[in-house]
Formats: sequence, C-alpha cells, structure tokens
Amino acid sequence: MKWYLTADDPGKVCLLQGNEAIVRGAVEAGINFAASYPGSPSSQVLGMLGEIAEERGFYAEWSANEICAIQACFGASLANARSICVVKQNGLFLMADALHCGAQHGVKGGLVIVTSDDPDAHSSTNEFDSRHTAKTANIPMLEPTTIQEAKDMVPYAFELSEKLRQVVIIRLTTRVCHGRSNVALGELPKEIRKISNVGEWDRLTCVNFMHKPMLDKLDKAEEIFETCEYNRIEGPDFSENLVICGGTGRLYAKEAIKRLGAEEKVTLMSLATIWPIPRKYVLDRMKAAKRVLVVEEVDPVIEDAIAALAGREGINIKIMGRGTGDMVRIGELNQDKAEDGIRKLLDMGPRTPDKPVADLPAREMNFCAGCPHRATFYVLKRVLRMEKVYGCSIGDIGCYFMQGQNGGFYSNQMDNCMGSGINVAEGLGQLTKYGLDQKVITVCGDSTFFHSIIPGLISAKFNMSNVILMILDNSATAMTGFQPHPGCDVTAMGKPTQPISIEAIVRAIGIEPVVADPFDIDDAVAKLRGLTKKDGTQVIIMRQPCATLMSKRVKVKKRVYVDQSVCFGDDCGCNRFCSRVWGCPGNSWDFKAGKAVIDTVSCVGCGVCAKLCPSGAIKVEGGEE
Amino acid sequence: MLSTIALDTQVIQKDLCTGCGACQGMCPYWGSVEGRTICYFDCDRTEGRCQSFCPKMPTDLEALRAKFFEGSEIIPEIGPFRALYLTQAADPEIRKNSQHGGTITALTEFALKEGFIDSCVMTKSEGGLNARGELATTAEEIRACSGSSFQIPPTLAVLNKTLKENKYKKVGVVTTPCKGLAVYKMKNKPLPEKDNNADNIGIVFGVFCGWGLDWNGLEDICGKYSDVTKLSHMDIPPSKYHRMDLVADGQEIHVDLDEVEAQVRPACHYCTDMTCEFADISVGGARSADGWDVDKSWNQLIVRSAKGEELVKLAIEKGVLNVKEVPETALEKLKKAAAGKRSKAVAKAAEDK
Ligand SMILES: Cc1cc2nc3c(=O)[nH]c(=O)nc-3n(C[C@H](O)[C@H](O)[C@H](O)COP(=O)(O)OP(=O)(O)OC[C@H]3O[C@@H](n4cnc5c(N)ncnc54)[C@H](O)[C@@H]3O)c2cc1C
Ligand code: SF4
Ligand code: SF4
Repeated sequence: MKWYLTADDPGKVCLLQGNEAIVRGAVEAGINFAASYPGSPSSQVLGMLGEIAEERGFYAEWSANEICAIQACFGASLANARSICVVKQNGLFLMADALHCGAQHGVKGGLVIVTSDDPDAHSSTNEFDSRHTAKTANIPMLEPTTIQEAKDMVPYAFELSEKLRQVVIIRLTTRVCHGRSNVALGELPKEIRKISNVGEWDRLTCVNFMHKPMLDKLDKAEEIFETCEYNRIEGPDFSENLVICGGTGRLYAKEAIKRLGAEEKVTLMSLATIWPIPRKYVLDRMKAAKRVLVVEEVDPVIEDAIAALAGREGINIKIMGRGTGDMVRIGELNQDKAEDGIRKLLDMGPRTPDKPVADLPAREMNFCAGCPHRATFYVLKRVLRMEKVYGCSIGDIGCYFMQGQNGGFYSNQMDNCMGSGINVAEGLGQLTKYGLDQKVITVCGDSTFFHSIIPGLISAKFNMSNVILMILDNSATAMTGFQPHPGCDVTAMGKPTQPISIEAIVRAIGIEPVVADPFDIDDAVAKLRGLTKKDGTQVIIMRQPCATLMSKRVKVKKRVYVDQSVCFGDDCGCNRFCSRVWGCPGNSWDFKAGKAVIDTVSCVGCGVCAKLCPSGAIKVEGGEE
Repeated sequence: MLSTIALDTQVIQKDLCTGCGACQGMCPYWGSVEGRTICYFDCDRTEGRCQSFCPKMPTDLEALRAKFFEGSEIIPEIGPFRALYLTQAADPEIRKNSQHGGTITALTEFALKEGFIDSCVMTKSEGGLNARGELATTAEEIRACSGSSFQIPPTLAVLNKTLKENKYKKVGVVTTPCKGLAVYKMKNKPLPEKDNNADNIGIVFGVFCGWGLDWNGLEDICGKYSDVTKLSHMDIPPSKYHRMDLVADGQEIHVDLDEVEAQVRPACHYCTDMTCEFADISVGGARSADGWDVDKSWNQLIVRSAKGEELVKLAIEKGVLNVKEVPETALEKLKKAAAGKRSKAVAKAAEDK
C-alpha cells in the first residue's frame, strides 16, 4: 500500500500521481463514502480508496454503473455523509438526469464528483468535454492546473459543497490524472464526520420550486469564486495581451510565453473556477486588454463564456481560441500548440515546426497476447461470413472495442456508447421482419452486461427481436485495470461477496444462454452458427478469463515455439497466417529465416495459434497452473 | 490481383462458383458452408493455388487435353474418347444402393483392390442430403458413398487435404464435370514449386452432370415432400417424365421438375460440360430402347484415357462389371444431349452480355 495516501505528516513533500492526489485529497477531506464505475483516466482512484477505506473508516464501492454510483452518493449525502463519486466524461453524461435532478434538490453532506476528460481520446472513443454539463446542470465546477491543486481542491470542493448545499464537480484531464509531481501533504482530519439519521422532515427532492434556490446557489458560488485563491494572474497584472487558461492550458501557455520571451507582454490568467465564471475578476482584465487568447482543453467553453460576457458588457476586444480557429480545434494541447496561439496573439508569425524524431510506423491497437477476445472475434468473423448475406455486427464499449481493427478482424460495424450494442441490435433485429435479410449479432463485455445491457436485453426479448447477444465473459473489467464487477466474488474493499450469475439473469429474462469457450474455436463456431439458425433473442456467453489475469495465475507458462522446418512461412498455403491474420503479439516474424517465430516475452502460452497453424508448425509444451 | 480477391470478384460474386472445393483444404483462408464457398480472411498473395486450380478461372482447355489425353480421339461434344460401354456392377449388393448401375462403386472398389489407386476421394450423403467429401480407403467406405447427391459439396477440399498430407500416393477421385476440370488443372501444376503433391492424383472417375441444386433449396423440397430422416435416394429420370424422384421409407415420391429447376445452382447455368470431359472414365445414366425401368440399373461409360481403358477392360474381364451391347444410336444421342447443355450455357452467357 502507498503509505503517503494516509500518512499523518503535514507538509511532507511526496511524489504523487494525479489520481493519487485525488485519493489523498479525499482522505484529507475526511470522506465517508465513495462510489465509482471504472473509466480511464481516473479508474485507479476508487481502487486505491477501496484499499484504504477500512483503515480510514469510510465506505468505498464499485457500483454497477455511474448512475448507481452518483445516486448512492446522494443517498449518503442525505445522511450527512461526505461522498465522492469518480467517473470519466462518458460516465458523467450517463448520469445526466440524476445530476440535473440532484442539482435542483441539492445535497446535505458534501458531494464531490471527480470527472476525468480524455483529450485526444488516449483510452476513450471520444474527447468529450464534461464542462458543458456543469453549465447545463447549474453545478459549480473546478479544474486544477497541477497535481498539488488536484489534491488541495478536494477538501476545498467539499467545503464549498457544504456551504452551498450543492454538488461540486472537479474536472481533470488525462495529463493531470496520469502525471506525477511533488505534492505537499495536508493535514488529516482529527476525526471522521458523523453520520446522522435522516430526519422525518429532511428533504432532498427534485421539484420545480427548487429551480430558484438552485440558481441562487450558483450566484453564491460566483461570489465565492471572485476571490478564489486558485484563480491567479502571472505576468503583468494588466496588459493589452490577455491569455486566459483552464486546467493544464496554464502550464502549456506559461512555457510557450517563456519560450517566446514574452513574460512582460502577456497577462496570464488561470481560471480554476470553470463554472460559474467569476465575471468581475475576468472583466477587470478584459477591459484593460485588446486581445484575449483562451487556452483550454477540448471545447471553447471558457472562450464562449467570455465572448458572451464581452458582448453583454459591450467590450471591444478580439477573442481568440479553439472556437475561432486561432488554436487547433481538436486534440490534446501541448506547448507547441499553445505557442501557435500566443504567436497569433502577439502577431509574431508562425513557428518553425520541429522535425519528427523518427518515422514511426503506423500501428493499430491490438488485443494483448492470449486475449480471449481475439479468439471470440475470429469465431464471430467466421460465422458472419458463413451467412448467405454477411451478418451484421454491432459492438459496444470495452477493450473489445478494438473489434473494429485488425485484432478483431475488422468485424465491428457500429459502436455508439456503453450499453448501446443490444439496443442498436434490437432495432435492427426488428427490421428483419420488414425486409432486413441479415443476422444481427452484438457483443458486450461482462462488466458492460451489468452496467447497461440488461434493460436492452429485456426490451429485445419482450419485443421478440431477432438478435444474438454475445457476452464476452473474461471475469474482469480488463479495459480499465481489473476492477471487480458484480460478476466477481470480491468488493472494492476486498470483502468476499456472492458473484451475480450472468446465466441466471439471462435465464430469468426467459432466454436459455449457450456457453462457449472461444479457445475451443470449432466448438464455439458451431455453437454460434447454431444460434444463427434460430429466431428470437439469443444469448451466447463466450467464457475465458482475461489473458493478463490468467498469466498471473499460471505457475509455469506453456512453452510455445515454431518448428521452422515445418512452417510454410509466406508461401501459398499459409502466407503468414499467424502473424498477419491471427495477429497475436506473440506471433512474430523472423525476417532472416522468412518463417514464423514466437515472441516468448509476449506469448502467454494460450496455445490457440497452434490450433490454427495450417502446417502444424506451432508446438505447445509443458505448463503448470 | 490478390488471389482471394480474384476468386471473389471474378468467380464468386459473378455467380460462377461451382462449389467444387478446389480452392479449399490447402490454407486457412477458404472454406465452405452449405455449398457456398467462403473466404474467411483476405490473403495478400497474388499467385495462389486457389485461383490457379479454380475451374472457373481462365484455362487453356486445348493444352490440357493435349497433355493428358494423348492418343484419344477428341469428339467436340463429349471430349476425349476411346470407347462407350453400357455397364453395371455385377454385384447385386452394390446395385441395390447405388445411383444407377453401380458402375462407379464397383470400379472404384476394384481399382482399390487391384492397386490402381490406394484411396479414393468421394462424396457421401444421407439419401442425397448433407453431402460432404470423404476419403475412402476401404471397400466398405467406398460402398458407403454409393448414390448421388444433387447438393454440391466441396469434395475437392478433401482431395487437397489428402494430397497435402501426402500419406496416399495414388488418390482416386470421383468428380462431377466442374470438379474434373479442376483436378486436371491441379495435375497440370500451374505453380510448379507448389504442386500440393499433384503427382499423387490417381484415376479420375467422372460422373455426368446436368446441374446441381441450391443446398437449402433442395433441403426445402425434400422437407416439403418427404420425411428427410427416411430419405434414401433421389434421381432425375429422362426428361420426358419431367420430374424428380425421391425415395423415402421405401416409397417413391414424384416432384414436378419445374419446382426443382428453380433451385438450380446459378453457376450450373453457365456450365458447358455434361459428360465430365476431364476424367479417365466418365459414367452416367443409361438411355436405351428398353425404357427407364431397365435403364435405371445401367450406366453409360465413356473411356477417355489409356489408364481408364486398362482399368475398365480388366474389370470386365474379371467379371466385376456386366456389359451389354451399346445401341448404334447411343453415341449420337449422347453427343446431342451434351451439345444441348453446351448451347444452353452459351446462350445464357450471351444473354448476360
Ligand atoms: C449433381 C449430379 C447431377 C447428375 N446429373 C446427371 C445427368 O443429368 N445425367 C446423367 O446421366 N447422370 C447424371 N448424374 C450421374 C448419376 O447420378 C450417377 O452418378 C452416375 O450415373 C453413376 O451411377 P452409379 O450407379 O455408377 O453411381 P454410384 O455407384 O452410386 O456412385 C455414385 C458416386 O457419385 C459420387 N457422388 C455423389 N454425389 C456427388 C456429387 N454431388 N458430386 C460429386 N460426386 C458425387 C459418389 O462419390 C459416388 O461414388 C449426375 C450426378 C450428380 C452428382
Ligand atoms: S490458396 Fe494460397 S493464395 Fe489462395 S488464399 Fe490460400 S494461401 Fe492464399
Ligand atoms: S475453385 Fe471451385 S469452389 Fe473455389 S471458387 Fe472456384 S468454382 Fe468455386
């Protein structure tokens, strides 16, 4: 365990990762309750909270989905608990209804949501900007620019939440979550806050007459934000050139200004209070400036807010940013991109771009070596092609999103959001009665099944849609780092619990699930193909534990090797089937010999490639579990 | 062009694929389901056996005939020719389960016994359904393949697999005309470095063919008129009857030919070969003045090559085959029937243009 998460050593400087800083901040805030559904980049937070929960006397859980998580937090808040809910941008959007209602009824015990956005979509399908949600839901939002601030803002947010009796959101981005820097630890609370029983006349209800109080809370927040110590000015207090930053934008802009030697020419304002914008604080500087550049991650949220402000106040100022196209409109920012914007602000002419360090070959994302999903999609691809009319394949969100790339044999035709697969497929499946002459197959992971598939499956079955759901049961939320889900036998706090059976749920819906092992390829093909011959809503569970989990359980891994004297290489009859088509990272190519070779470092010893090799050149030996 | 794409765009998507299986059984890319040829994954080779074995890819037929039928007369309508016989299996047990006279079953069994072949790739079915390629290595296994299926399974995939394994050195094969051509393309070794042991191909036994049927279409017809679990036989009597006969549970059921012909495999409409011109011997149903009741237990047999001649003569000499006199008009009638199929196919192709 990481001692610095709970060390009672105020002022001690430790190297903390952003996600650890959030955990430490929550400990310093003396939380009582934490709930989350994993979503990178902030997935690690609840895992760590779970580990220290018992020691610190609070409760932590992995909820089945983000709606469950936030509403559990609202429940805790009603009993005066301080609760933290950790999600990523998609999770925040998923809970939109709960959030809007929650903002209207407010909170009792402090409630802080930590959401992490993923500019450039490093581990997401999108780079959505959660800041819009603060605006539509009328919830105050903070964004740290450093890891120290990430920690410090958690207790600050709780105090604010309790002062306002309102939810407070802290927005992070990937660089803050995954970056590391020195952080001075704060004080630990002397004792943890008392839970109080819910009084007969205690109320947290979303009713329309709370609309006005909700807006009043926002006004109050703005008033507080006018003097918030996290908003700051660097460089001259007032100047013609104003740069307003949100989040990590500050660090990029600061470095760019330094590079350009423009420290004396530019007023650099960092806004930590994203919503509501402290209007007076901003206006004072705007009135003195001629031009303003906004440097923020993803959408022009601050930019639009100050543009509206300038318009309302009749200030004649040139506003530049990602919305005006003066900064790149998409993707993650960096120093160079910030420099491009500042050069425009200062009329300096374009930057000479750096030469690329090396010509790196383009590479697709791929499943890990030995991943059962590869076998599952191999099975799926075969079955889709076996159909008279190529079957239609609908994906979902998880590692298996890579179904759309080489690792999944390019078998994904549509992907909306988490839990969407069954619903999309339900709709298509209905059309098979109206002229769609195709089999419709959709996939979901085990964690996704519990997260948001069940209602869709019920809808499909009830409405008699012709659709096959493949549940990829690898016993883990592998995408985000093996957090337990309701199908597992241990909770976030390490307590044994009864796993919830996917089969039992499917059966209760009135469908008899077929279970297949994707590593037994021929059998799995036969089983899935069997389902394509049936009408109605069908379920097949592809069960094989995640390779990374398995390789941890295996004592001695099987030795897999290629007998190159037998291998067909790139000759007709094989043409590098293992490394080119099957594509497991363990299947490599020996350029000298012109034959296949196993990369023994990557190979986990699953041995599936040996079953597929057309020459029988791949051998499997030994192994111990 | 990539081999897999060539076959897909020039043969499969054009509805020319016969489902013979010549492209299959050698690599993980090709397979077949219910008579449909499937490319599971794209192969990026431009030179491949799949496309060079496919009977529907361009072929120099003249050169093939010249190479493999030296000394045989070439009759334009029916191909290489040495003799025409009317034959049947002498063994009544064989005749009982075979399609017509049991000539194929008797001859392949004899060829195995006499060492002409050491195994035989055949087609097995349950009364004509669920057809699949089989490697027969014993007389019992050969007999189990008696009878015709009008489904077209990828039997040559089994030939390819057998040759690849290289265990049997004289592999006989029973083929329809499309498959026969593919086998001779294999024997011709289009990729000399990669011949899949084509020298191990033994005697080629052709069967005449009018057309094959859509896999599921035939299943549906059989299901509609019979209990498919009791199906034991299916055949098409001479054209004047205009029907297909099914035998289920010993009962003969007649199905109007129009209903059956609606299910003809699209590729068969373009096929110009009725008598399986690429084979050592070719066998079909007999047509004589005796009428269908007698003819249905006899075969016409065309001997095409020296090897075929040797085998047939020995089989007759050893009393394995019964023979009867061939009517004078038989060859002319056969030529006319074969020319009829060819001209229909040519007309169909012209119509598409
Ligand atoms: C699709 C098809 C269409 C035919 N059309 C005609 C026709 O129009 N006119 C005509 O005279 N004869 C036709 N025949 C041939 C006929 O049905 C007999 O196969 C032939 O007369 C030999 O009879 P037999 O008693 O010697 O056969 P058997 O001794 O019973 O042996 C039959 C052999 O045929 C093989 N076989 C069965 N089904 C298939 C198949 N689908 N593909 C390849 N091989 C198969 C088996 O391996 C078996 O060894 C056709 C055969 C097929 C398969
Ligand atoms: S037969 Fe050869 S060329 Fe054709 S798909 Fe297979 S490996 Fe590729
Ligand atoms: S080889 Fe036979 S099965 Fe393959 S594409 Fe050609 S005709 Fe079809």
